Amino acid sequence: MNVATTGVRAASVGLAKRSVVNITRLPSAFLPSIAMPVFQAVSFAGTFFAITRIPGFPTSRSINWFLPLAVMMGSGFAGIGIGFTTIRDLESGFYDRIRLSPAPRASLLAGPLLAALVRAVLMTTIVLIIGALFGARPTHGIGGVLLLYVAGLGVATLGTGWGLAIAYRFRDMRGAAVMQLTLFLVLFLSEAQTPLSIMDGWLEGVTRINPFNNIIRLGRLGFVDAPITWDNTWGGLVAVLVLGALTLLFAHRSLDRLADV
Amino acid sequence: MADESLPIAAEGLKRYFGSGDDIVKAVDGVDLRIQPGEIFGFLGPNGAGKSTTVRMLTTLLRPTGGHARVAGYDVVSEAADVRRNIGVALQDAAIDPLMTGRELLRLQAVLYGLPKAKHGERAAELLDRVGLTAAADRRVGTYSGGMRRRLDLALSLIHEPSVLFLDEPTTGLDPMSRIALWEEIKRLNHDGTTVLLTTQYLEEADQLAERIAIIDNGVIVRKGRPAELKAEVGSPTLFIGVEPDVADRASEILAEFGELRPTAEGTLGVGLPGGSAQISAVVRRLDEAGIGVRDLELHEPSLDDVFAEATGYRLEGAES
Repeated sequence: MNVATTGVRAASVGLAKRSVVNITRLPSAFLPSIAMPVFQAVSFAGTFFAITRIPGFPTSRSINWFLPLAVMMGSGFAGIGIGFTTIRDLESGFYDRIRLSPAPRASLLAGPLLAALVRAVLMTTIVLIIGALFGARPTHGIGGVLLLYVAGLGVATLGTGWGLAIAYRFRDMRGAAVMQLTLFLVLFLSEAQTPLSIMDGWLEGVTRINPFNNIIRLGRLGFVDAPITWDNTWGGLVAVLVLGALTLLFAHRSLDRLADV
Repeated sequence: MADESLPIAAEGLKRYFGSGDDIVKAVDGVDLRIQPGEIFGFLGPNGAGKSTTVRMLTTLLRPTGGHARVAGYDVVSEAADVRRNIGVALQDAAIDPLMTGRELLRLQAVLYGLPKAKHGERAAELLDRVGLTAAADRRVGTYSGGMRRRLDLALSLIHEPSVLFLDEPTTGLDPMSRIALWEEIKRLNHDGTTVLLTTQYLEEADQLAERIAIIDNGVIVRKGRPAELKAEVGSPTLFIGVEPDVADRASEILAEFGELRPTAEGTLGVGLPGGSAQISAVVRRLDEAGIGVRDLELHEPSLDDVFAEATGYRLEGAES
């Protein structure tokens, strides 16, 4: 049989479909990634309700502040969750079968990325619906909500790139710990919980240079009182593009290095 | 450079792991020239370098040194072309347990660029060929070891490859499943597929392979047709069981009749140039020395003898 050159799109969709099918087959591995952001948004909003009384706090609704954070965290886990399943495939040997196929190497990254984006959209939608039931209200209409999706998809993208790269480098569950730890670090060394205006000391310094902070700001734009302007948007978009590209490049190089170990 | 016209050709192929004093020479200068339409057996114990060689030839692992071409393409610089032309069933048949056999075959068809209209047809054809039609829509996690192996073989055949690599395809299978897989391999070869088969079962290599290579510690120590290799060993081997306390003395006596040969623990072996005609003389001589014979068996030269002669030891659990 003459085998045609496998297209990136077809192979990517095939691999993404496999990931999505596996979600339905193993709901116990997927449901926590939906439940955790919902729980985080609702419980943080209730626990830290008084934060909104701080003078100059950007919103009067605590859930408006914590819901985007929950979406960012859920999206990050949608991305690195792909890293976990890749480790499982590497450990079982199934990944060898995928690598043995003539599918373009780009599709080995794009397929899982597509699956992570589907998971992130699903999770974001559910968090928004339940958040609305608990009082979350977009402050700038559909445009602001779209920015939350953009930021979430961006975080899912860089989470996927990072997750895949670490999976390829470690090839066992040690990598899972590295993925989670780094996600928590970049997420919480930022304005995740409190605005920069009330931060002090080293955390303020780190937050100022943490590019991830720009993505969190981007995601919150549609839920805080300040207007959406190009000045407070472009930094987040650039961070999404640059960090996404860098992590995917890192994943591509790490995939190539699998042939050396 | 390795020969472009051969389905599999390797020259000085090496793969080292680690560095400095800790370097492990997993494969150390393997040369192979496998002819079109041949079943070539790659025989050796665990850790001999069989799978590492296969991983290099199938582009999963970059060689440290040497050259190899598969289906006419260089395994390093033309890896995608190699992958397009080969089928591979790796050790352990690692298959996603959450998917069904049919889903996996369809995914494989997508990854190999088969026209979409042919995905279902080809999957059904292969499921039928390996006898898995009834289990096609069950999750692979519910399959037995033999069913997984057959599915793995089907996955490797999705694009009708001209070169097929089978890495210990029958390890862990029951005898019936093993024989069924042998028949399938013979059928594929009959249809023109070149097969490189790694195995640690001597009987398997003897049954299937037209030529074999014995690899030990990363180096090929014998290569040729099984019949020729057996003939090179020469005389049959007499295996004698004696009590451990008289083993040394018995060895001295046996050495008077022919060369001593490696055996499994608790047994002595000697090559008898005169074959069965010498047995009574051997037993008489041992009896005169007061050594009781627990059991004795005369073996015509087998691949086990070829292996033992080449490596100095016998394969654990050798079957022939």
